[in-house]
Amino acid sequence: MKVQKGEIVAARKYSENLYKLEIFSPYICKNARPAQFVNVRCAGFESNDPLLRRPFCIYEIDKKFNVFSILFIVKGKGTAYMANLEKGEILDFVGPLGNGFNIPENKNKFLLLGGGIGVAPLCLIAQNLIENNKTVHFVAGFKDETFYVWERDLIKILRDYRIFSENGAFGEKGLPSEYIYNSLDTFKEYQFLVCGPLEMLKNIQSILRGRKINALALMEEKMACGIGTCMGCVLRIKNKNGDIQYKKICTDGPVFDLMEVCFD
Amino acid sequence: MTDFFQNSGLAVKLGGIILKNPVIACSGTFASGLEYNEFYNISILGAVTTKSMSLAPMQGNPPPRICETASGMLNSIGLQNEGIDYFLENELPRMVEAGAAIIVSIFGKDADEFTKIASKIKTYEKEILAVELNLSCPNVEKGGMAFCALPDEINRIVSLTRNILKTGIIAKLSSNFNNIPEAASKAAKGGADAVSIINTIAATAFDINTFKPRLGNITGGLSGPAIKPIALLKVYELAKENIIPVIGMGGIMNWEDAIEFIIAGACAIGIGTANFINPDCGRKIIDGINDYMRRRNINDINILRGIVFKNSGAII
Ligand SMILES: Cc1cc2nc3c(=O)[nH]c(=O)nc-3n(C[C@H](O)[C@H](O)[C@H](O)COP(=O)(O)OP(=O)(O)OC[C@H]3O[C@@H](n4cnc5c(N)ncnc54)[C@H](O)[C@@H]3O)c2cc1C
Ligand SMILES: Cc1cc2nc3c(=O)[nH]c(=O)nc-3n(C[C@H](O)[C@H](O)[C@H](O)COP(=O)(O)O)c2cc1C
Ligand code: FES
Repeated sequence: MKVQKGEIVAARKYSENLYKLEIFSPYICKNARPAQFVNVRCAGFESNDPLLRRPFCIYEIDKKFNVFSILFIVKGKGTAYMANLEKGEILDFVGPLGNGFNIPENKNKFLLLGGGIGVAPLCLIAQNLIENNKTVHFVAGFKDETFYVWERDLIKILRDYRIFSENGAFGEKGLPSEYIYNSLDTFKEYQFLVCGPLEMLKNIQSILRGRKINALALMEEKMACGIGTCMGCVLRIKNKNGDIQYKKICTDGPVFDLMEVCFD
Repeated sequence: MTDFFQNSGLAVKLGGIILKNPVIACSGTFASGLEYNEFYNISILGAVTTKSMSLAPMQGNPPPRICETASGMLNSIGLQNEGIDYFLENELPRMVEAGAAIIVSIFGKDADEFTKIASKIKTYEKEILAVELNLSCPNVEKGGMAFCALPDEINRIVSLTRNILKTGIIAKLSSNFNNIPEAASKAAKGGADAVSIINTIAATAFDINTFKPRLGNITGGLSGPAIKPIALLKVYELAKENIIPVIGMGGIMNWEDAIEFIIAGACAIGIGTANFINPDCGRKIIDGINDYMRRRNINDINILRGIVFKNSGAII
C-alpha cells in the first residue's frame, strides 16, 4: 500500500447518480487483487472538507494500459466531489487496501449476487474467476434503471447473468433474493459471494441458514484510516463457538463468512 | 528521506524525556506504528505513542464507531485493545525492531490497575522512552473520565507509577472538565515529566432521517481541525503558567499547525487524526519544520517555544 497520485484518464457518467473514474496507476494494476479497495481523498489541496478519505472497491483493472477504475454512486460530499472530477485531474488515494478475495481451489462454481453498487467489487471478482476457468453465474438486483449502462461492462466479462429491478425498469421485475430462494436446488454446489445493502445480506443469510451452502459477503462500515489502526470499522462476527468478536473490515476483511456476520 | 543531521536543531527536552524532534504520533491514531512503517520509516519520529493498553483485553464499543462532522470526526472506539500482556509480548519487540522511540499509553479503571500495568511494563522499561497515563478518554464510562475530574487521583496515580518505573511519565489530560492547570500541577507534583493535552472533546451527532444517534455508543470524542483552536488555547494557557512541559495536540494537520502549537508554548506536538488522512504526514511535518527553521535561520527549535507570550517575536 502506498499514498499515490494518479491521473484520471477518463471520467464517465453512467446515469444521474452513477459514475466511473479511470485512473492511471501501474502500482495498483500490478499489486491489487479482487475485493481490495482504495481510500480516496475527496477534497482539494489542504482542504479539510470532507476530512476523511472515502473507501471504494477496485472495479476494473486494465493491465495493458495500467489503468484501474472505480464505479461509484453519489451519496454525499465526498462522492459529489469525485463526480465533478475531470479527465486530466489528479486523484489522491491510498491502496491497495484490504485482504482481497482468494479463489478457493476446491470450488468450481460461483454465484455472485450484487445489490445496487454492491455489483462493483463483484465485477472484478467475476473477471478473475473466469480467467481461472471457474463457472460464474452473476445475479444483480437494483431499485430502478440507474445501472442501465453498467450492463455493457458486465457483458464484456460474462454472459451468464440475471438482472432484476424492483420497478421492472431494468431487467426482470422482482427481487434477486426471491430468485435465489426459488433456485436453491440449482445452486447447491455453488460458492456464494454477496455484496449489497444490509437488508439483502440479512435476507440471504436467513435463506441459507441450515443449508450446506458456503457464502461469503463483502462488508462495509464507516472508515477513518483504512489500514487497521483506528479500530473504527468493526463488524460483529459470531464464530463457530458462538463467541462474538469485533473484526476490522479494512484489514480482517472486507470479505467475511456471511453466516458468521451478526446483523442484530 | 529526512536527513537526520539537518534535524539536529530539533531536539527537545520534556523533563527527563529527550526527543530527537518534537513530532510525536498520538495514542490511538497510530496503533503500534507498524502499519505506518510501510509509508515511511517511523524511527524518524520524535516518538510513537501506542494505543492505550489496559490490563485485560477490551472489546470496545458497538459500531458505528466513526462519524465525520464539519472539519472533524467523532469516534467512540472505547479503547478496544488486546491488553498489556499481548502488547508487551507481540508488538513491543516489533516496534523496537522498527527503531521507534516508544511511548506506551496505558489505561486503568482505577489506581490499582494502573500500578499493575506499570509493574508489567517494568521488565521492559529499557526499551521504552516513556509511559503515557491516559487519564482522559471520553469513551469509557468509568475510569479515565472520573480520574480527570479528580486531580487528587491524578496525583496518586502519577506518583504510584513514578515509584515503579524509571521511564519518563506523561499524563494525558482532557479539556472536558475545565481543570487542566489544576490537574497538570497535580501531575507535576506526582512526578510526571510532561502532560499531553488535549484528548478528544466529548461530542455527538444524530441522523435526522432515522432519528438515531450516529454513534453506537451515542457519545464520542471529537478530533481533527475542528478542535485545533480550542486545543491551542489550552496549550497556551497551561504553558504560560510554566508548571510542566506540554505536549500539544488537537487538529494538527501540517507543519504550519505544528509550529503554531510550539509558539503557543508546546515543547512537543502530537499528530492524531491527520495520520488517517495522510499516512505519511509525520515525515512531512518534520521536513516542514526543518525547512521553516532553515528559511528563518533558526538553529534551535526551543527558541520558538512560547514565543507568543514571551513577547520576543521581534528577535526572529
Ligand atoms: C470497503 C468499502 C468499499 C466500498 N466500495 C464502494 C464502491 O465501489 N462504490 C461506491 O459507490 N461506494 C463504495 N463504498 C461506499 C462509499 O465509501 C460511501 O458511499 C462513501 O464513503 C460516501 O461518501 P460521501 O462523502 O459521498 O457521503 P457521506 O456524506 O459521508 O455519507 C452519505 C451517506 O453514505 C453513507 N456512507 C458514508 N460512508 C460510508 C461507508 N464507508 N460505507 C457505507 N456507507 C457510507 C452514510 O451513512 C450516508 O448515509 C465502499 C465502502 C467500503 C467500506
Ligand atoms: C480514533 C481515535 C482513537 C483514539 N484513541 C486514543 C487512545 O486510545 N488513548 C488516548 O490517550 N487518546 C486517544 N485518542 C485521542 C488522540 O490521541 C488525540 O489526543 C486527539 O485525537 C486529538 O488530536 P487530533 O485532533 O490530532 O486527532 C484517539 C483519537 C482518535 C481519533
Ligand atoms: S478503518 Fe481504521 S481500522 Fe479499519
